[in-house]
Amino acid sequence: MAALRREAFILPGSGGGRFCVVTRPDGEPKGQLLLAPPFAEELNKSRRMLALAAEAFAERGWLVLRIDLFGCGDSAGDFGDAGWGDWLDDLELAHDWLAANAGAPIGVWSLRAGGLLVSDWLARSGRSLPWLAWQPVTNGKQHLQQFLRLKGVSEMLNEADVKETMSTLRAQIAAGQPVEVAGYTLSPALVAGMDAASLSLPPGYAAPVSILELSGQSEPSSSPAVRMLVERTKASGVSVDSAAIQGVSFWQTQEIEVSQPLIDASCAVLGRWAHAH
Amino acid sequence: MHTERALVFDCRGETLVGVVSVPAHADAVAAHTGVLIVVGGPQYRVGSHRQFVMLARFLADNGVPCMRFDYRGMGDASGEARDFEAVSDDIEAAIAAFSREVPGLRRVVLWGLCDGASAICLSLGGNPLVAGAVLLNPWVRTAETQARTMLKHYYLQRLLDLRFWRKLLGGGVNLRGALGGVKEAAGAAAGAGSVPSDREGPVPKRMLRGLQRCDLPVVVFLSGRDYVAREFEQCVVGDAEWGAFMASGRCRVQHFAEADHTFSAVAHSEGVARATLEWICSLG
Repeated sequence: MAALRREAFILPGSGGGRFCVVTRPDGEPKGQLLLAPPFAEELNKSRRMLALAAEAFAERGWLVLRIDLFGCGDSAGDFGDAGWGDWLDDLELAHDWLAANAGAPIGVWSLRAGGLLVSDWLARSGRSLPWLAWQPVTNGKQHLQQFLRLKGVSEMLNEADVKETMSTLRAQIAAGQPVEVAGYTLSPALVAGMDAASLSLPPGYAAPVSILELSGQSEPSSSPAVRMLVERTKASGVSVDSAAIQGVSFWQTQEIEVSQPLIDASCAVLGRWAHAH
Repeated sequence: MHTERALVFDCRGETLVGVVSVPAHADAVAAHTGVLIVVGGPQYRVGSHRQFVMLARFLADNGVPCMRFDYRGMGDASGEARDFEAVSDDIEAAIAAFSREVPGLRRVVLWGLCDGASAICLSLGGNPLVAGAVLLNPWVRTAETQARTMLKHYYLQRLLDLRFWRKLLGGGVNLRGALGGVKEAAGAAAGAGSVPSDREGPVPKRMLRGLQRCDLPVVVFLSGRDYVAREFEQCVVGDAEWGAFMASGRCRVQHFAEADHTFSAVAHSEGVARATLEWICSLG
């Protein structure tokens, strides 16, 4: 195996440090990848898969930076103090670290709600970067709604009770109060940001975008939301492709799961980017 | 106040990743006793809903250095995935790394949830730095304990549950499946099919042997709303040796009646953190 190196450090940021893991290739990197992580418990469940993928990417010459956002993972702060804007700032911080540390071109890699963050961050910064999106969440409001439902499930309520719990939560949110769901406290600033987020690419986006999804079906196909996004985006002149691979949703399974086919398909995407340069 | 440092360290050629939380004031009461968090189940070092991160910071803010880490094959560590019965080397490597990072450290308390607690029991007795163990909802599952607990707490409770009957009458329950489950559970509880495959004996026995190998103080925290905790209680009730250990002067038990398996409500995880600190201070 190539002599890749795994490093962990804490990057100074506003309100405290951000925990980072870097997987370095043997020799000069041919490219660098910044991971935008998924939301809440999905970060825990996908950690092993993301580490294995980072290792595979490093074996192919890519330097991979994984950052824990403010209030997430091992980074400073309480989850309940984090706002959507803080997380966009953290992507900028991570991007700056990569830009300062090596000359190789930078691409982004996202999982689930990390895709929503990348979308907002790219729009804000006006950058076009090659983007590998794993199972992107396309609608922030829906994602939040599904997360809030955990409250009902965790309390083992029936459907009517879940509805009532949900409306109570929504009322709390509307009143500008934080809500606690499945051990996570969500601040009004986080809820507002996620509620408003949706996956999009500006017309003429000048870098390749690849969307990979896992599907439990025997003949996997992209989700309707991603198919619509790809059609719309292609029509506006953006180079975007998507593929679906058979596999389990490793970001939400009870036990830790990995998907080697997804890693292999991603390595092929990185190979295409490297050729394009 | 505390500071945190990220570290990587070696375990048999693989790279493990950890974080130490260190009190800002080295003269604090318990600074010479550190807590090493041994993660259980399908979790990495931050824990469900960041429970272990918050615990580490709470302890460090109160003068106790703390370290969390990923064992081989989990989280950010390299290597093949492995289960809790094969992590003793990882725990040893983490204790060594913790000592290097916090030079004033004179002893280490191991803290584990679920099969992390079981892993601690299996590894006890070898390292002179280890000064005690905090065991949360220890995992003692065998086919037999699982079946007994299912019978006693799940199926019997369901039979008394009005909602279950409503669902049943409304066609919302697979009757054959539900009854099949009862039959299987009854069979296993009676001893059929529960032959341990490990020649060293079933896990609960080997955990007990670890606890008996040393004379270290131990505290057991049990959640009220958790089948893993119920199985542990069943195991203790059904085994004279376990019963004797639990009743001995060096074991303390504390119940958290409203808590679930991972102490997911903030109030419960904070309660565990406070109880951990109190117990460590009681060690003197």
